[in-house]
Amino acid sequence: MPPVMINQDKGYSFGNEPISVNKTGEWRFLTPKKIKKLSPCSQGCLLDGEIPDWMEAVKKEEWAEAWNIMKRNNPFPALTGYVCFHPCSENCNRGQLDQELDIQAVEKKIGLWRLNNYKHETEPCSFKGRVAVVGSGPAGLSCAFYLTEAGYEVTVYEKSDLIGGMLALGIPEYRLPRKVLEQELQLLKNKGIIFITNSALGSDYSLADLYSKYDQVFVATGAWVARKALIPGEENKGVWNALELLSAYNRSKIPDLKNPVVVVGGGNAAVDSARSALRLPGVNQVSLVYRRGRIEMPADQSEVEAAEKEGVELIFNATPRKIETDQNQLSEIIFDYSKTNLNGLIIDCNKSFKKECKTVIMAVGQNADLSVLGLLDEAKTFIAGGDMISGPATVADAIRAGRIAAETIKSFLEGLPGPLDDPKEEVPILFEELNLAARLNMQPLKKQVDPVSEAGRCLGCGTCNSCGICYLFCPDLAVDNVGGRYEFNLDYCKGCGICVKECPARALVMEGGSE
Amino acid sequence: MKIEEMNRENEMIYSGHSACPGCGAALAVRFLTKTLGPNLAIALTASCWSIIAGVPPLTALKCPILHCPFPSAGSVGSGLRRGLNAKGMLDTTVVVLAGDGGTFDIGLQALSGAAQRNEDYIFVCYDNEAYMNTGMQTSSATPFGARTNTAPYPLFKEGQKKDIVQIMAAHSIPYAATATVAFPEDMENKFKFAKELKGFRFIHILSPCPPGWGTESSDTIELSRLAVSSGAFPLFEVKYGMEWRMTTPLEDKRTPLGDYLGIQRRFKDIDSERLKILQEEVNYEWELLQDKVRRSEILK
Ligand SMILES: Cc1cc2nc3c(=O)[nH]c(=O)nc-3n(C[C@H](O)[C@H](O)[C@H](O)COP(=O)(O)OP(=O)(O)OC[C@H]3O[C@@H](n4cnc5c(N)ncnc54)[C@H](O)[C@@H]3O)c2cc1C
Ligand SMILES: Cc1ncc(C[n+]2csc(CCOP(=O)(O)OP(=O)(O)O)c2C)c(N)n1
Ligand code: SF4
Ligand code: SF4
Ligand code: SF4
Ligand SMILES: [Mg+2]
Repeated sequence: MPPVMINQDKGYSFGNEPISVNKTGEWRFLTPKKIKKLSPCSQGCLLDGEIPDWMEAVKKEEWAEAWNIMKRNNPFPALTGYVCFHPCSENCNRGQLDQELDIQAVEKKIGLWRLNNYKHETEPCSFKGRVAVVGSGPAGLSCAFYLTEAGYEVTVYEKSDLIGGMLALGIPEYRLPRKVLEQELQLLKNKGIIFITNSALGSDYSLADLYSKYDQVFVATGAWVARKALIPGEENKGVWNALELLSAYNRSKIPDLKNPVVVVGGGNAAVDSARSALRLPGVNQVSLVYRRGRIEMPADQSEVEAAEKEGVELIFNATPRKIETDQNQLSEIIFDYSKTNLNGLIIDCNKSFKKECKTVIMAVGQNADLSVLGLLDEAKTFIAGGDMISGPATVADAIRAGRIAAETIKSFLEGLPGPLDDPKEEVPILFEELNLAARLNMQPLKKQVDPVSEAGRCLGCGTCNSCGICYLFCPDLAVDNVGGRYEFNLDYCKGCGICVKECPARALVMEGGSE
Repeated sequence: MKIEEMNRENEMIYSGHSACPGCGAALAVRFLTKTLGPNLAIALTASCWSIIAGVPPLTALKCPILHCPFPSAGSVGSGLRRGLNAKGMLDTTVVVLAGDGGTFDIGLQALSGAAQRNEDYIFVCYDNEAYMNTGMQTSSATPFGARTNTAPYPLFKEGQKKDIVQIMAAHSIPYAATATVAFPEDMENKFKFAKELKGFRFIHILSPCPPGWGTESSDTIELSRLAVSSGAFPLFEVKYGMEWRMTTPLEDKRTPLGDYLGIQRRFKDIDSERLKILQEEVNYEWELLQDKVRRSEILK
């Protein structure tokens, strides 16, 4: 043992060799470990987004990292940033503290960052095969994205002259700027995806034609056949179908609508038609009539509120009976009182009313046109998804369908096991389970305009968000700060479990054994 | 305490020390040295920390430690300060570190003398509420109703915990304060404030002790938090024995004392009558403290 050492600088000192030669980690019989549990936002997200993970990256302004995490589940955050109905925010745990996170605003920011920073994104890939995608809606685009990333050459066939499906033809520009869609499509083209427009399955080529040229085919032609209300007068001049009207509107071919306008229906197409109609020259009186009650509308409630704010008159519990014409022009539409009960819709013809109108927009639903598939050859397996299979749903549902289709096609062609259909059974972390007492000086804070500050409000439910509490409270300094991320140093961890107990996010567990 | 800026390099304590898993005292000294270091010298009396600090040539701290006899901490601190001054090392902070035994009981005489002379150093008592290093014997810091190895079943500690901060405040020293490990920021503020003052400063840190209290090692922070929220260990400071001020915003919503005691085996057999006495004691002390705080505000 060395004798007493005299430290010249300090003047005195009894021994100054670090005690770290003692590897006190040997004492441990339980070991802390970082894990990941389901957060309520991820559970709510239609795309299973790893929301707390990209929130963490945004908080540190690591945008490229945020995009890399994002694209595992959602290749088009700019698009969903504008149009997704964001069920993710509904159960956000932060809502129980002050206000739920504006998850979509952060998502949009990641999307726009990507559009501005990856203008010439071309990723090198090894050629693995050729796939045809039919339909360029979000389902088709998402499938094309993932297959291209995986090394396939993808050709997208589209019936219309425009690419994007409902994104281009259904959703109006005031909700989705076309510049954003164009940039998104340009990135897909830069990736090497080939687009062939004005080319319809069923009339221009058959599934068999595609199979002769491609290794696999994904069909996602959406739901574009307008349902009929089957009432007299429905075929008269002056009666429009919602998608027909929106397509024209979105091509800036301003339709000539006569005031007043009545929209029949309660879905997205109905609400968007009403709002678009109100934006047309000469139109200032638009009513939207839905056969059930307000909360039963399939349209997103925030859209309904926006329509109401803009001046669309909302009428509920009324079913159309007849559209009347007077001197070759629409004159009125007759409605009967209707409401939902356990057996379905009850219509009471004794309680009816008339509504004056010169234009009627029918938006009572759309069906898929399955005839495009032709006679199916049993020997071939083809994959279909999106609105075509589910019926009218959402952009996020379609993106998810495209992603799963890409995984399925990959597994087919590469002989791998297919994607697991994992129903989200895991119970998400509840607000009460979080240990916010450990977050020092946490003050209530409402939504922030700046996305980085907004991401900073994320509690990281079930996912480490590098708060550093484990580091702070470890009596053995057995958690290392590695560039702002925290890692265990098992040489010294005695397994006391303080870090696990204190982790505000519940992202740690103790496991048996010393390793 | 900006967590992001903290890493092993700017801590003053080394991993590998021999504190028990979940030791509150190890954590308390980690925060203490981080705030007061690096230009720091510690006089240390016989206690668990004498062991945690390591046997030369090994050391658990990056600053010099002067081990001293059990009752002498107050006097050794005075000597250390004056010695450093004589050598011109005026900007080295001197800390005396002692357990509750070394402060409340055996060290009280030297402590009182040094405080009365207004010696220029910071006396830190880490209070684990018994003589833990020698096997959990009762001290005058042990709370009423707890079981120790000198008060085994069916006995329990009789008489209430000595109010050490009140005693120190009665010396009219520049600064006295309480702190505990669940509130590192509060502790940091107090050390920072104390460091800038001259004269005798006293800081009393409640440090949960898993083996001594019969608690889960993972519960150390939770216990410290419950001690504060229940009012059993209020966080406050006193300047010149006159200005009393609470430092945590938890005052109005105190949690039940039972939540704090319930997870400690040393209180396992406490009956409802004793719990009531203890709760009343806590309530009484609490009111007394609030009264002092109110009066200080009027005096201002
Ligand atoms: C007016 C309106 C507004 C909406 N607003 C929202 C919203 O704000 N948020 C949201 O999440 N969801 C919204 N939706 C729903 C959403 O747009 C759809 O669920 C989604 O676009 C479906 O994607 P898809 O790829 O399955 O089909 P689509 O987007 O319908 O795309 C199908 C594509 O296939 C093409 N096609 C059709 N037949 C053929 C053929 N034979 N050969 C080749 N190509 C063909 C079509 O031209 C189209 O481009 C809205 C829907 C409508 C109608
Ligand atoms: C004069 C003297 N008496 C007894 C001891 C034995 N002894 C060493 S540490 C200790 C207990 C110290 O208790 P406390 O001050 O509360 O510190 P803790 O061990 O609890 O941290 C005792 C009794 C001693 N070292 N010197
Ligand atoms: S706080 Fe963050 S992780 Fe938790 S639910 Fe909200 S967005 Fe998700
Ligand atoms: S305490 Fe914070 S840094 Fe540590 S694991 Fe939990 S979330 Fe991550
Ligand atoms: S707090 Fe430190 S010693 Fe305790 S289990 Fe966690 S890493 Fe290990
Ligand atoms: Mg003690």
